[in-house]
Amino acid sequence: MKTDRLIIGAGLYGLYAALYCAKQGYSVVVIECENAPFKRATYINQARVHQGYHYPRSISTALKSAGYFERFNADYSFCINREFEQIYATSSHFSWTDGQRFKEFCRAAGIPCEELYPGNYFKEGLCDGAFMTREYTYDAVILRDYFLSELNKYSKSVELKLGEMITGISRDADEFVVRTRSGLEYKSGFVLNATYASTNQISEMAGFEKFKIKYELCEIILCDVNEKMKNIGFTVMDGPFFSIMPFGKTGLHSLTSVTFTPHTTSYDAVPNFQCQKNKGGLCSGKHLANCNECSARPQTAFPYMRSLAEKYLLEDYKFEYKESLFSIKPILLSSEIDDSRPTVIRKCSDKPVFISVLSGKINTVYDLNEVLDNG
Amino acid sequence: MDNREKNFISAVVYVHNAEDRIGGFIKELIRFLEDNFENSEIICVNDFSSDSSADIIRGLSTEPNRMCISLVNMSYFHGLELAMKAGTDLSIGDFVLELDSTFMDYRPEAIMDVYTRVLEGFDIVSASPDRKEKFSSRIFYKVFDCFTPTNVMMQTETFRILSRRVINRVSNENKTVPYRKALYSTSGLKTDNIRYEVVKDKLKDMDADEKKYRTSLAIDSLILFTNLGYEFSKVMSLFMIFITVVVLVYTVVAFIISNPIEGWTSTILFLSVAFFGLFVILTIIIKYLQIIVELVFKRKNYSYDSIEKLTK
Repeated sequence: MKTDRLIIGAGLYGLYAALYCAKQGYSVVVIECENAPFKRATYINQARVHQGYHYPRSISTALKSAGYFERFNADYSFCINREFEQIYATSSHFSWTDGQRFKEFCRAAGIPCEELYPGNYFKEGLCDGAFMTREYTYDAVILRDYFLSELNKYSKSVELKLGEMITGISRDADEFVVRTRSGLEYKSGFVLNATYASTNQISEMAGFEKFKIKYELCEIILCDVNEKMKNIGFTVMDGPFFSIMPFGKTGLHSLTSVTFTPHTTSYDAVPNFQCQKNKGGLCSGKHLANCNECSARPQTAFPYMRSLAEKYLLEDYKFEYKESLFSIKPILLSSEIDDSRPTVIRKCSDKPVFISVLSGKINTVYDLNEVLDNG
Repeated sequence: MDNREKNFISAVVYVHNAEDRIGGFIKELIRFLEDNFENSEIICVNDFSSDSSADIIRGLSTEPNRMCISLVNMSYFHGLELAMKAGTDLSIGDFVLELDSTFMDYRPEAIMDVYTRVLEGFDIVSASPDRKEKFSSRIFYKVFDCFTPTNVMMQTETFRILSRRVINRVSNENKTVPYRKALYSTSGLKTDNIRYEVVKDKLKDMDADEKKYRTSLAIDSLILFTNLGYEFSKVMSLFMIFITVVVLVYTVVAFIISNPIEGWTSTILFLSVAFFGLFVILTIIIKYLQIIVELVFKRKNYSYDSIEKLTK
């Protein structure tokens, strides 16, 4: 099968690229190993639409997020939940930043931040600064349905291949040939690798340089919260802290913590984990299966995250365990020190084109436009 | 049936050049906590160890089934008090087990005895060995107890369990903690001590840095938390004032009765008056200093045990 644009991975970046190319009149094939789009990282994350607050040690990441914030909220307003107060706080101990510096940082990045009295939300003495910020959350399910219905309008030129496992990628003159387990062959002069946690596995098959990343098996906990907390999100930041904030429009809150959300870490170039041993080859360093549906997924760290959150939050704010979501998160090793989360787009080959994209943020998806335009 | 405790316990361990025993100690602690508690964590505070203690701890990351181990590395030698404060600040448990020493001369079950006592309604329960205290320690605690206004008896402690209430209260009241034990004992919450049976002989478990630190801590604590210094200075000053007055009287008498050498009377009169004034000033200055120390280090606020609401 021949196509103008071959996209690997049906997460947000993959479907965005597919729609973008379809609108330009290209024929597009999206290959996805799951049986539906948005089954992994696009769905399983804090669902934060970043405006930069999260990166008080990397003004460049902050500025970039802030720039795309308005655009994303305008383009995808139907899936954005803005009906809550997002409160950022700096812990009195063990934080890499403090209230005063956070304020200065927000001013420098040009993002709104209004100082609050920490004692209104947090236990006495635990936070030295609390700020009302403007940050939203997106609903991945609504966003997915939007992309599916939009792509449906181009059903003649766009094909979504679900449940397709790639077994090999080779180069044939000015085309790449992608073979799948079902025996199909896809040929294209333009391949976009938008597989996030599997990005190095795809690059390895194609014989390109891999990203220098480590992998974390992460747990996001969804919680029911009481009335008082319904419309508030808390993020205690820059250190071994936590965040509990609305999860899209689901009515649930997501609870995550820097210390307890990652369960295990793999420092290999491809994701190798202990838990893969019992999976009979279904999940390995060659092909990553879905952690969220896995029988070997770890026991929840909820007791830890709960203790951590309760240590800080006033007792009026109550939350209860609903369910856990697991996924693998790749983290660029170069970004450990300044905690920046750059969107990396790497052109591995020019003619034919092979591009790998790695981004942990939803609203920097527009970074793709340039490479999609120029090939 | 899971009979383990539902409460979350955080163990904070002070580690300083303990490579010979840290591995076994932490393993024992992991086993004990996992057997007895559903949820627990260990926070190792590595106070600038120059040996391989930190690496040994890192090597134990796969040891626990479920619990979580954190390692806090201090950037230079802080000493037990500040290092332990860092660990307690990081802890998230409902209860915090402070292990001041990595030398386990008790059966781990002794920790459970202390924990049970906490559940009976004590916010701070410490454990002391049932052996004779070291002479220097005995003197220190004797002096300390004599000169502090509270009636809590202090003694050598190996570990203790604190409730979250104590930690919150202590961290609200004092930003700097020169000596935790003194703060805990004056926090106004219920305190108890349990003696455990010593099952191993005490080995040398302190290096030169720690010894030096402990001596200076003892002196600082005595000066800051007791009115020993003030009492001593006050008595000395009053005594000296008394002597100058005697000399003054003697000079006047000597001037009248015998006939001293010319100039002696005026010299001695001047000296006596000057010294009298000097000692009065010193007494006042010492009083001022004592008040300042009180304001900075001691309780800044009233301290209460509980509030009871009486109903009909």
